[in-house]
Amino acid sequence: MEKTLKKIPINRWIDMLAFVFILIFPLLGFKQFRVDFMCQVVAYIIFAISLDLLWGYTGLMSLGHAVLFGMGGYMIGICFQIQDGAPAFMTREGINEVPSFFLPLKNETVAFIVGLLLPTAFAVFLGFFIFKSKVSGVFFTIITLALAQIAKDFVANQQAYTNGFNGLQGILRYPVSGEPLSKIAYYYVVAAVAILVYVFCIFLTRSRFGKVAVSIRENESRVKFLGYNPAKFKIVIFAISGFLAGLSGLMYAPAMSSITIEEISVTASTFVLICIAVGGRGNLTGAIVGTLLIQWAKVLLSEQCANYWQLILGVILLLIIFFMPQGIIGKIINVQYSIKTRKSKEKILESEENISSVSLNNKQGDEEYGNSFTGG
Amino acid sequence: MVSVTSIFQNIVSGLNTSALLMVAALGLVIIFGLMGVINMAHGELMMVGAYVTYYTTYVLHIPFLFALIFAFLVTGLIGSLIEMLIIKSLYSKPTETLLATFAVSLVLERVVYLIFGADTKNVPMPIPGNITIAGITIPNYNVFAIAFGILILLLTVFIFQKTSFGKKMRATTQNRSMAECLGIKTSRVDTWTFAYGSGLAGIAGALIAPTISVSTGMGSPYLTESFMTVVVGGVQSVIGTAFGAGIVGEARTIIGGLSSAVTAKILVFLIIIVLIRIKPQGLFAKERR
Repeated sequence: MEKTLKKIPINRWIDMLAFVFILIFPLLGFKQFRVDFMCQVVAYIIFAISLDLLWGYTGLMSLGHAVLFGMGGYMIGICFQIQDGAPAFMTREGINEVPSFFLPLKNETVAFIVGLLLPTAFAVFLGFFIFKSKVSGVFFTIITLALAQIAKDFVANQQAYTNGFNGLQGILRYPVSGEPLSKIAYYYVVAAVAILVYVFCIFLTRSRFGKVAVSIRENESRVKFLGYNPAKFKIVIFAISGFLAGLSGLMYAPAMSSITIEEISVTASTFVLICIAVGGRGNLTGAIVGTLLIQWAKVLLSEQCANYWQLILGVILLLIIFFMPQGIIGKIINVQYSIKTRKSKEKILESEENISSVSLNNKQGDEEYGNSFTGG
Repeated sequence: MVSVTSIFQNIVSGLNTSALLMVAALGLVIIFGLMGVINMAHGELMMVGAYVTYYTTYVLHIPFLFALIFAFLVTGLIGSLIEMLIIKSLYSKPTETLLATFAVSLVLERVVYLIFGADTKNVPMPIPGNITIAGITIPNYNVFAIAFGILILLLTVFIFQKTSFGKKMRATTQNRSMAECLGIKTSRVDTWTFAYGSGLAGIAGALIAPTISVSTGMGSPYLTESFMTVVVGGVQSVIGTAFGAGIVGEARTIIGGLSSAVTAKILVFLIIIVLIRIKPQGLFAKERR
């Protein structure tokens, strides 16, 4: 029992600690708006995990992941906007009936499923074109950057359908039998979803599939050489990542009770990248801890010095890149690993000492034997 | 109403967009081609160039032509500092470099914001007036911008082909370790190249400045556009970049003239995605050996 416990890497303990912290947070007696914010952060953790699968594990850096996140958020946002016929922003543009392609979204379950499937399908579509051709990972980054820019322009432009820069307000916390969930109930729903996603990702990354994803990151040509088709793996992992990003959007929007254009912009996409870079990529823990740290730093520092926050963020990122390129959790894992190897080295040295003393005895024996031989 | 004249009008104003894009994308391509660095701060360097132009022309009342030179020098200096302080120590770590240049872009944006404030700035039009040829109206300034863009292109080609610096740069691009063996100080070449690429971003920003309202957030849309140009034109040749800029710029204005600017952007994006599938190395890639 003790041995299996020791085998669990240190970052999994940190995960458990982080989730316990999340679960007891509402009981710690903070003001309600802090708990509300924590709920958004937990939803954001799902988003960070989804990007960590793509970036940390498979090595595909997406600068437009917030678009997939926003697809989830906007679907549920539209759902609550069209409950009582065409909302004000539609009638203002001369649309008095809810457009027929929005009508299915009126049902929350349908909106939820569409919010999951749309980003997944979009990821598959994009992945099909980018990964099937033999371009380097850099182009994926550039294309996703362009995607984020264009998605923002598109939403801003489609004023009649998306309410443009104002975004969608009044998103309810998934009404069960008429009444929306209470804030605290929704908090635990989001936390439960986050834990489920985390467990799913643990299984995924430990499976053969996850191992192939990591080896694509490390050496794609060798993976190809071994008979795998990296493009297929990349498309599937992008689709899973898109699905989870959509899910996080569906969780985030009701927690925020709105979704705006800022949440799908390049800034939002890069913000989550920074969270992962600070926490450390490719181990899930980094995504969780990084999001917790940076999101709270953001809200607490913005209260103190709103103008300097972005400057501080840039400097933090630079410092991390120079002094902890693996991120905080990566550093911790490395330190633990070096301690472990040192211990095992010491063990080996100890046993070597025993061996050498044994061999010394043997030598003496040999000498004795030799002596006796010559003597004889 | 779509008439022949209006289409020609769009083609001509597309030339202006293309010229500006070309100058911006040239800087990116030179840096990426030589060092494999994706410079996320490129858009912010353009923004700095635009602010330098604002400061020199509007505050100091110095002629626009000098503002262009100042913009080049200031952004070039910032670029060389970025290279020496940050990029150099992250050599051959593409992800870290990308993140680091992104961090620099955050810092640059905020520093300019703290110096100049939140309100947008307007740069006075240096060459007012229009000329009309066969029913097509072109602002004089656009003619100047197009000419200046072509001048920059020719100058870059000249530097690449004829000067010793350009030859060293090409040698380093082709085979870094061999160039080092032949006594070329590649790390110095890197610094100068990065400075030159950044300087081009500054010039692009300065050229754009009179036609838009200058703000600290102006950089990122142009960064995206420049990257799109790079994808179309390929990363290996300067001429490819010029053609890439021509295609993206013209497609944007022609489609934009027929429908809306956003539709144009989306269509160009879709075309580029399909293009990446068919011609992954860009339209003007040299044959790889």
